[in-house]
Amino acid sequence: MSSSSLPVKAPAGRKRKRSTDNQSFLSSLPWIGPALLLILAIVVFPAGYMIYNSTRKISSVGTDLKSVGFDNFATIFSDPVLPRILLNTFFWVVSVVLITVILSLALAQFLHKPFPGRTLVRMAVVVPWAASVVMTTTVFYYGLDPNYGIFNHFFVQIGLMDEGFGWTKNAVPAMAVSVIVAIFVSIPFTTYTLLAGLQAVPTETLEAARMDGAGRWKTYIFVVLPQLRSALAVSVLINIINVFNNLPILKIMTGSIPGNDADTLMTYIFKVLQFDRRLDLSSALSVLNFAIVLVIVAIYLKTVKPMDEV
Amino acid sequence: MKRSKRTAALALSAAAALLLTSCGFSGDKGGSNTAEGGQTTLEMLVPTYSTGTKALWEGVIKDFEAEHSDIKIDLEVQSWENIENVLKTKLQGNQAPDIYNGGAFAEYAAEGLLAPATDIASQATIDDFQPTFADAEKFEGTQYGLPLIASARALFYNEDLMKEAGVTEVPKTWDELYDASKAISEKTKSDGYGMPLGNEEAQGETLIWFAGNGGNFGDAEKIAVNTPQDLEAAEFMQKMINDGVTQNDPGATQRTPMLNTFIQGKLGFAYGLPQTVGQIEKENPKLNYGIAPVATKTGEPATLGVADRLMSFKKDGKNSAAVKEFFDYFYSADVYTKWVSTEGFLPTTKSGSEKLSGDKALKPFLDQLPNAVFYPTTNPAWNATDGAFKSLMGEIATGKSAKDVLDAIQAKADAAAK
Repeated sequence: MSSSSLPVKAPAGRKRKRSTDNQSFLSSLPWIGPALLLILAIVVFPAGYMIYNSTRKISSVGTDLKSVGFDNFATIFSDPVLPRILLNTFFWVVSVVLITVILSLALAQFLHKPFPGRTLVRMAVVVPWAASVVMTTTVFYYGLDPNYGIFNHFFVQIGLMDEGFGWTKNAVPAMAVSVIVAIFVSIPFTTYTLLAGLQAVPTETLEAARMDGAGRWKTYIFVVLPQLRSALAVSVLINIINVFNNLPILKIMTGSIPGNDADTLMTYIFKVLQFDRRLDLSSALSVLNFAIVLVIVAIYLKTVKPMDEV
Repeated sequence: MKRSKRTAALALSAAAALLLTSCGFSGDKGGSNTAEGGQTTLEMLVPTYSTGTKALWEGVIKDFEAEHSDIKIDLEVQSWENIENVLKTKLQGNQAPDIYNGGAFAEYAAEGLLAPATDIASQATIDDFQPTFADAEKFEGTQYGLPLIASARALFYNEDLMKEAGVTEVPKTWDELYDASKAISEKTKSDGYGMPLGNEEAQGETLIWFAGNGGNFGDAEKIAVNTPQDLEAAEFMQKMINDGVTQNDPGATQRTPMLNTFIQGKLGFAYGLPQTVGQIEKENPKLNYGIAPVATKTGEPATLGVADRLMSFKKDGKNSAAVKEFFDYFYSADVYTKWVSTEGFLPTTKSGSEKLSGDKALKPFLDQLPNAVFYPTTNPAWNATDGAFKSLMGEIATGKSAKDVLDAIQAKADAAAK
């Protein structure tokens, strides 16, 4: 038995390895099962349902009438307001993410340095994150009201303006103030991610750079920044998705503006649903939205390769 | 290894993207109308007319439940801005309310979702409605809605501001309103005329002006919002805006805050509702103001009339008997007039009108009712038209030509009628 078992041992070993793979998958299923189910139920199923809805004709009351193939997509792509909306979305995402990351890099650097009261300042930075976005935005919205807003009141009192200006009543200024609010609420997460990245930078590398005679800027650009790559990658990616899909800020800040001059894809989807009552069209727009996010993420992963060297 | 990591990352990001994409899907199907032990539970969805609406309904329900121990009513109160979205979500989730208070009903009736009036109210109750209102509740000959309230608009004017600007006569025509508003805008620190074309109620303000030129939004068969009369009215509105006799940014101004400005005494003219009287009494009783008929192009009387209704989604029809009990109770003269007068509306029943005929605050509005123009709520495309007005009408204040704006709204109405 022992003599015959020896030659077959090698293949058996390989086989056993494969079967343990299977076995380990099976034995891990009860552990990951609930999570998988959850993902199926709250991610895969709604997404599938959304895609299904986008190919249907649905009455304004919500009754599913019939399949229309890709007609809904033809309708949304021939919509004359779509280019402006996509442009707005692009401007919105790029400006918010770019400014947020730049400010957060500076802020993280500042919070990395020891100084008296640092813990307090670090905690203060979390506040916009801890507060509800709707609440924060509403505070800004009322502050910017032309008749009784505190910001307008302040600008009038210090003589910058003669009377209150409707910041949130015109497309361009409303987008601009929305960008500011979005930056305000995105900074805490970004700063903390970058701060964690900074703390992982070994001091030896900084000392070595100093020994080699690198100045502060050179140390930062060539030593610190490359080591922040994964932290930057995470914060940029999450921010892009988050900002792209942001509804509450824009809904509150630009919601009262007539027409679609201040709409991003997200608020437009909402308007199509709320005012036009077109569930089918808004589903098609959501599919478009989803596809754009996927493409952005894919391009990002391909070019920045954030997962290498992690 | 690297490759699979990247795939994993992509999958993860895809999942994250999905999670963060709002899908607006609601999948829960709670049992809403379960009859347990002989008790029927009715779901009731109503909007807020005022801050007191919820308490008012709660009072009615409490008294009703005291008399009918076998019926329980779950009240849900939503703002006007949200109620139709909430209703739609409920309809998609098979949770249609048994009792619903809303503006438009025709598209629900067209899809066979509503119970006919005869199933949800006794003949005596149905016969008590004034015929003009009852007729507006019919879709293809069958009455579905039970008219709840009526309302009309009237011109509120601030006497102090008029005096300060040297305006002596209350404007009756468009031109007079224009001149008076211009005088107030120029000679006082306040704005002349408040024109709310934001998405709260752009359709209301618009129809007041259209009605003032003999126009309307169309009828049960055809929505028509770009007729020559309508266009002329819209162009006059645009002239008011462009010449600066209105408040700033009328395209993004909501009605409620605009009326608050009037109540604070910082606005010359505004179209208000019967409730505005009570609001002024409560918040700024010292305001020196008056109420006059709507200013029209020629001075002929016309106004916007609004009637809202109660209706019932029939579902499996099991709850109709209980709904009938409730509606018969609610429309009894005492309960109904108390509700209507507390909310400051005009009654739609014969018995209610008799009871309230002596009310002085309601008189200027009751007088206008015969000349009121109503929304074409019996047209199934009305809801889409309404939405189009809310989202697009304000564009006449942002430089778009009135014709383009009306044509765009008409196009949305036509798309919905298909």
